[in-house]
Amino acid sequence: MAEPSAPESKHKSSLNSSPWSGLMALGNSRHGHHGPGAQCAHKAAGGAAPPKPAPAGLSGGLSQPAGWQSLLSFTILFLAWLAGFSSRLFAVIRFESIIHEFDPWFNYRSTHHLASHGFYEFLNWFDERAWYPLGRIVGGTVYPGLMITAGLIHWILNTLNITVHIRDVCVFLAPTFSGLTSISTFLLTRELWNQGAGLLAACFIAIVPGYISRSVAGSFDNEGIAIFALQFTYYLWVKSVKTGSVFWTMCCCLSYFYMVSAWGGYVFIINLIPLHVFVLLLMQRYSKRVYIAYSTFYIVGLILSMQIPFVGFQPIRTSEHMAAAGVFALLQAYAFLQYLRDRLTKQEFQTLFFLGVSLAAGAVFLSVIYLTYTGRCYHLYAKIHIPIIASVSEHQPTTWVSFFFDLHILVCTFPAGLWFCIKNINDERVFVALYAISAVYFAGVMVRLMLTLTPVVCMLSAIAFSNVFEHYLGDDMKRENPPVEDSSDEDDKRNPGNLYDKAGKVRKHVTEQEKTEEGLGPNIKSIVTMLMLMLLMMFAVHCTWVTSNAYSSPSVVLASYNHDGTRNILDDFREAYFWLRQNTDEHARVMSWWDYGYQIAGMANRTTLVDNNTWNNSHIALVGKAMSSNETAAYKIMRTLDVDYVLVIFGGVIGYSGDDINKFLWMVRIAEGEHPKDIRESDYFTPQGEFRVDKAGSPTLLNCLMYKMSYYRFGEMQLDFRTPPGFDRTRNAEIGNKDIKFKHLEEAFTSEHWLVRIYKVKAPDNRETLDHKPRVTNIFPKQKYLSKKTTKRKRGYIKNKLVFKKGKKISKKTV
Amino acid sequence: MGARGAPSRRRQAGRRLRYLPTGSFPFLLLLLLLCIQLGGGQKKKENLLAEKVEQLMEWSSRRSIFRMNGDKFRKFIKAPPRNYSMIVMFTALQPQRQCSVCRQANEEYQILANSWRYSSAFCNKLFFSMVDYDEGTDVFQQLNMNSAPTFMHFPPKGRPKRADTFDLQRIGFAAEQLAKWIADRTDVHIRVFRPPNYSGTIALALLVSLVGGLLYLRRNNLEFIYNKTGWAMVSLCIVFAMTSGQMWNHIRGPPYAHKNPHNGQVSYIHGSSQAQFVAESHIILVLNAAITMGMVLLNEAATSKGDVGKRRIICLVGLGLVVFFFSFLLSIFRSKYHGYPYR
Repeated sequence: MAEPSAPESKHKSSLNSSPWSGLMALGNSRHGHHGPGAQCAHKAAGGAAPPKPAPAGLSGGLSQPAGWQSLLSFTILFLAWLAGFSSRLFAVIRFESIIHEFDPWFNYRSTHHLASHGFYEFLNWFDERAWYPLGRIVGGTVYPGLMITAGLIHWILNTLNITVHIRDVCVFLAPTFSGLTSISTFLLTRELWNQGAGLLAACFIAIVPGYISRSVAGSFDNEGIAIFALQFTYYLWVKSVKTGSVFWTMCCCLSYFYMVSAWGGYVFIINLIPLHVFVLLLMQRYSKRVYIAYSTFYIVGLILSMQIPFVGFQPIRTSEHMAAAGVFALLQAYAFLQYLRDRLTKQEFQTLFFLGVSLAAGAVFLSVIYLTYTGRCYHLYAKIHIPIIASVSEHQPTTWVSFFFDLHILVCTFPAGLWFCIKNINDERVFVALYAISAVYFAGVMVRLMLTLTPVVCMLSAIAFSNVFEHYLGDDMKRENPPVEDSSDEDDKRNPGNLYDKAGKVRKHVTEQEKTEEGLGPNIKSIVTMLMLMLLMMFAVHCTWVTSNAYSSPSVVLASYNHDGTRNILDDFREAYFWLRQNTDEHARVMSWWDYGYQIAGMANRTTLVDNNTWNNSHIALVGKAMSSNETAAYKIMRTLDVDYVLVIFGGVIGYSGDDINKFLWMVRIAEGEHPKDIRESDYFTPQGEFRVDKAGSPTLLNCLMYKMSYYRFGEMQLDFRTPPGFDRTRNAEIGNKDIKFKHLEEAFTSEHWLVRIYKVKAPDNRETLDHKPRVTNIFPKQKYLSKKTTKRKRGYIKNKLVFKKGKKISKKTV
Repeated sequence: MGARGAPSRRRQAGRRLRYLPTGSFPFLLLLLLLCIQLGGGQKKKENLLAEKVEQLMEWSSRRSIFRMNGDKFRKFIKAPPRNYSMIVMFTALQPQRQCSVCRQANEEYQILANSWRYSSAFCNKLFFSMVDYDEGTDVFQQLNMNSAPTFMHFPPKGRPKRADTFDLQRIGFAAEQLAKWIADRTDVHIRVFRPPNYSGTIALALLVSLVGGLLYLRRNNLEFIYNKTGWAMVSLCIVFAMTSGQMWNHIRGPPYAHKNPHNGQVSYIHGSSQAQFVAESHIILVLNAAITMGMVLLNEAATSKGDVGKRRIICLVGLGLVVFFFSFLLSIFRSKYHGYPYR
């Protein structure tokens, strides 16, 4: 069976379902050719990494440590931002400032709509260019945070008379926000551990490939800003748990609101924070601070999240949000019991306590049952049974290679950070431990959720490294800052105004450590430091390489390299979309597989039938059915759908593996799911169960619309002298059906490298021509009718009276 | 069709008889003889059929699936006098074939056959059998079959058609799907009865009772719940399991390792970056754990109070663990990810 594989595909697109999917995609086949940008970003990344641990060592030696320290951290953060920003620019430098992939095109299009028509127009936008007969209510079915952010920046810049095109704002939004992400990671890690770890974490997240994969310049997608919102919300949450102040909690709610408006992943927050509170309760770490923080957060956050039209009433209806409500109730009950304990006698309290506990246990039990039967089962069901979900490459489990590829050294060292956190546990480290465990689980289940794992891996690795550097980098005697054990300890250290020690607090460890620290010797220390720095250097180099090679291809523009290193740009997609834009009617309807829907709408500005917002499975199945039926049946479907043009992607000429023939089996499967009578997947295989396009292939495949459109006149083309005409380079086979004729379609456009082929659907003829000979009838009667009526004979006469003829047998043999 | 065809043939024969010239009387005699012989053949055929069915029934009373070799296959499945449908699983169950799919398919097939064997509708119209590649290689060659497992239905009359081969790749080999397919081909409806799987429940009960017993035994001293090291260990285990791709193994079910059939070399590392073996993920798990332990030891060496020499050794061991195992990990990654330029 065709093994679904996801060759480093980071964005939502159909899987290649054919056995050739392992073949390289041209877009990804560049090896080790660093452009000028690579070098510069490389230096920046490498340069930012080593100075990170410095504050721990320097801070003690200078007369005014606070000033130096803040200057240094400011510089490091700025450099981290710069390094992160510049290493995301490979695609812009190599190609141009262009929106990548598929989903970003939709985001760009709606941002453009927002920028040109205003906010309310955008909220009420009914897009009649998508899902052709149905249309799509865009305002109510998107997370508007991304578009509003970009639109706002555009508006501000234009108000300041800095004229920037909205496209450039969109292209550079994600790299800019990556800097904000590193700052919020710094803040969060500083709350969890100390400033040194925070700076390390900021540098890590600036360049780690797991995050870059979704935030290169041009990848204008929700995740680009959502990770910032996620980290910032967590920072504010930790802050509010620590302080118990309503102010911080309200900030947290606002940040949560931003997150809800930006990405569906907000569900992760609304489950993780209640989990944190729940575990704190279990650990008997309940305090008034937790009570204030969570009660405020839950109520205000709930109300705010319901303001997003797309979310609406989900937070009080769906199972994903029930855990938060349950924990809210539990916390109230717990607080109430605490209150009663002060008021009641022990005996009374015990009975009440048992009553309360049993009630709460019952409620939790019921909610768990509810959750399992509504939420989880549905997801499992969806995963197994709906081919459209299975067909998306990012919904696959994760191999260890992907972990290592995206995180490199961090994936091996972050468990150490987790270990340190749990060993020195406090309220907020409980949070980070839960964050790490849940995120690593989700990342294991689905490749795309690597994104939520990346920030916590950066933080914990930074803690591990900073721990090591703290002990091995500085001189022995200059150890004034012991590892921070208590959260409030660090609070007053950062507050310059708060110069006195709190009453009753003893600065312990200092004398002890000075005594024990004198061992080990400078040699070992410097060796350890050097090796650790080497590891970090390798990390920086790896990150740059991965970014440059795997994550910086726009996939709208492909590039291939010759043997001497010169580059060919294959700009077929844009060529074809531009042709559509220029040469077709403004309201022409273009049918294609759903992967290309957003691009057609965004670049060609034409109406599409299905697109990457895969909300209507039956519609997609109908398109799949049209593609996989023969021409006559497909024509009927296309007539009912008012299709004017059909667009297919064909990679056989240049060996592009992500083309429609390789995705074809998914079309068949999805069509079969809805129309099991007409389409059967087994018809498209050879009797041996292979999917072949050559002569041995199944006749159903060789005559289906997709095959005919892909290979129309390909049989006349000889690519190479060593191969026969009609040799498909992607499948490495000579095609089986070279004599392809169309009746209802005609070729309208084929791009330079045949990558995109567009066919026009002919209108039915005015007068239908018959494909058989007209029936011949005798027009002239054999004999003229003569009336026998005369004035004399007035008898009646039967006109065509049957006459018996006897004795003569009409036999056909004689004829 | 056959019923209509037979009389017409007889009529033709009669007509031909009538027009036979008188001189060819010996011919007539020969024909008569032939007819008698044919009738005898019919009888013999019936005997043979009854014999075969009896033999099959006897086998199936002993076990629900009987194994076939080349001779038996030809006798019971290929040879024409049959009035029963036969479902055959072509498989390779020998351990050296390393066909994990075959084993799973076999289990499902057993379930199906048992459901049929012990159902009230059991009759001699449908039998289940299997051909192992190592026992009936000739059968595989004869049917031009090059993949296992394959399920085929041999109808009572005629050759198996295209739909008589079960489409394993598309529908999978769940017993229910097989039953549906059989119902489609033979009109025999089998209600699949799965022996309830208690192993999960038992394991859970065991775990719960173990934990409960432990808590009960230690009820006076519940300190260990507050033991941070224990909790840290548990969370690290989860993390290592996930980062080494155990979830991928769980969902995809790869083989433990790959043995090259030509030279017998066992490879533990999958050559492609898209897949992995179970053994490989275990190796990675150990490597990750070793690196983490190295980091912890480095920290331990610096913070613990004790003999300086001992701490130096701990420090060096920790450093060695980190550096050595990380280079090892990197080299494995390099071997899998072709074109990775750094060591």
